[in-house]
Amino acid sequence: MAEFSLPANSKVRKDGRVFKAPDGATHVRVFKIYRFDPDSAENPRLDTYEIDMDQCGPMVLDALIKIKNEIDPTLTFRRSCREGICGSCAMNIDGRNGLACISACADIKGEVRIYPLPHMPVIKDLVADLTDFYAQYASIKPWLQTRTPAPPDSERLQSKSEQEKLDRPSACILCACCSTSCPSYWWNSDRYLGPAALLAAYRWIVDSRDEATGERLDQLEDPFRLYRCHTIMNCTEACPKDLNPARAIGELKQMMAHRRY
Amino acid sequence: MPARARPLSPHLQVYRWQISNTLSILHRLTGVALSIGLVGLVAWFIAVAGGAQDYAALMRLYGGAFGWLIAMALVFAFFYHLLNGVRHLAWDVGFGFERRDRHASGWLVVAGALVLTAIALVLAAHFGGSSHG
Repeated sequence: MAEFSLPANSKVRKDGRVFKAPDGATHVRVFKIYRFDPDSAENPRLDTYEIDMDQCGPMVLDALIKIKNEIDPTLTFRRSCREGICGSCAMNIDGRNGLACISACADIKGEVRIYPLPHMPVIKDLVADLTDFYAQYASIKPWLQTRTPAPPDSERLQSKSEQEKLDRPSACILCACCSTSCPSYWWNSDRYLGPAALLAAYRWIVDSRDEATGERLDQLEDPFRLYRCHTIMNCTEACPKDLNPARAIGELKQMMAHRRY
Repeated sequence: MPARARPLSPHLQVYRWQISNTLSILHRLTGVALSIGLVGLVAWFIAVAGGAQDYAALMRLYGGAFGWLIAMALVFAFFYHLLNGVRHLAWDVGFGFERRDRHASGWLVVAGALVLTAIALVLAAHFGGSSHG
């Protein structure tokens, strides 16, 4: 049964610390950021940072880095490429999941509220524990499975149209924005694979070189692993790479129906 | 050393209500409302079968302003659930996954349900209303 409210140890205190903007700042934006310190006995809280945007880059990640470098070095978050290809800085920004590095502060009205990816165990501040998410990805066996020997003198070839089927789904960067935006994943992440893992499963199922299509579909034929998708579509709204996990899951359901009848 | 239990990050509390999740939960809610409303419909049939006195007794409940409000809410629930069900059917056969299509079909379903509810209201006022009393 879905638990709609947060457990007692997870309720967010509103009495966080406030860091005022320096005197003379003219273009101030307020950032409210979720903080959790695993070394203290306290519940998570929201800290408030006033940032002078004239002295800050345009993206949400620029603001986070500015806070860490200049205001509060204890703020903890993941980041790496700062150009939307590594997926490290996935978080909940202004109520939507996305990558901090490609989310512009100017696109957000009012206070900028930043939380970790939703309904995940929090390690510290904006860092969520993605262990189960990665295990789900591994469970769909994201590698080429074959029975026939490879051609002795070449790769396993594909036509252009066969390759194009993989173009979009293999652009997934596993940032977890989609899965952690999905209410169905929130309530059933122990058994439902979630949009990211299902998009990855789809990517191998439509791969013309893969010879384990039947086994892959067998593995998904389950009331929870695939069919907890209720076509809510939050996944596809959230994807920072503009991929369409909802369509991939829809096609998987169709494949299930077609092979049965 | 045992680590303290990790907190669960906020979810429903912070996630933005977008057209995607809003219309999805509305589909659920209207489905539940229709299931419960069915009991009211059956009660109405029983009252009809029970004769004029039973019917008049029930209509004192159903015929009031509150009864009308509930009835119209159920009519909206019916049309919304019906139209959004067709939207889901389209997804199940592979249509309407693009952003523009998802959003347009969502607004179309809401507008369609409101228009059909208004038509039902007009028809009910015209043919029914208080004339049964």
